[in-house]
Amino acid sequence: MPPSSDDGAAERVVVLPKPLHARPAGQLARLAGRHKETTIQLVAGAKKANARGVLAVMAMGAVTGTEVTLTVTGPDAEAVADEAAGILTAAEAVDG
Amino acid sequence: MTEGLGLVGIVLVSHSAALAEGAAELVQQISGGATVVPAGGTDDGGLGTSTARIEAAIDDAEAGSGVLIIPDLGSAVLSTRAVLADLAGETTARLVDAPFVEGAVAAAVAAGGGADLDAVAAAAEEARDAAKF
Repeated sequence: MPPSSDDGAAERVVVLPKPLHARPAGQLARLAGRHKETTIQLVAGAKKANARGVLAVMAMGAVTGTEVTLTVTGPDAEAVADEAAGILTAAEAVDG
Repeated sequence: MTEGLGLVGIVLVSHSAALAEGAAELVQQISGGATVVPAGGTDDGGLGTSTARIEAAIDDAEAGSGVLIIPDLGSAVLSTRAVLADLAGETTARLVDAPFVEGAVAAAVAAGGGADLDAVAAAAEEARDAAKF
């Protein structure tokens, strides 16, 4: 992915290899915190959450096997989307 | 205790030392690097709150950007207010009305991301409206 600071939009669809519990929710919120101009939206079925809201992400109750759509808008959307997808699809210790 | 340089600190005031310490451990793990200091129990470790422990925790949590204090119940609020009254003018510590666990998680994630005291306090207060599922 070429580096770009242009505003953009990116989408990733991932199937969770692990439940979206407190730890990955915290990692997503920290990612969102590092990219204040960029919005990371998660959708799983009827549940939606902004990655900035760690409690809202946990409240999605997304379990293993859930399909999650990430919609990222703003600066570095592609890179942020890749990183967010990486958090969701990482195995317990290493990236899967 | 994980220390984030210059981040807003969080103090968890509980009637139980075990509750404050456990909540701080959990919240630190989720937030990955926020400063969360427990102030639980009485001076001799019993159930209740201690102004001395609260004051020491505020001191520990202060890294130059202010401190947010989250109480569990009733007299945790009263004891914290007594400490803040004593420290009047000497601290930027702020008491917030928020759920103990969810408020602490939301506040610590915000603080760990470098948010200022107003934003960290707002994150804790918003936790009151967050459904658990």
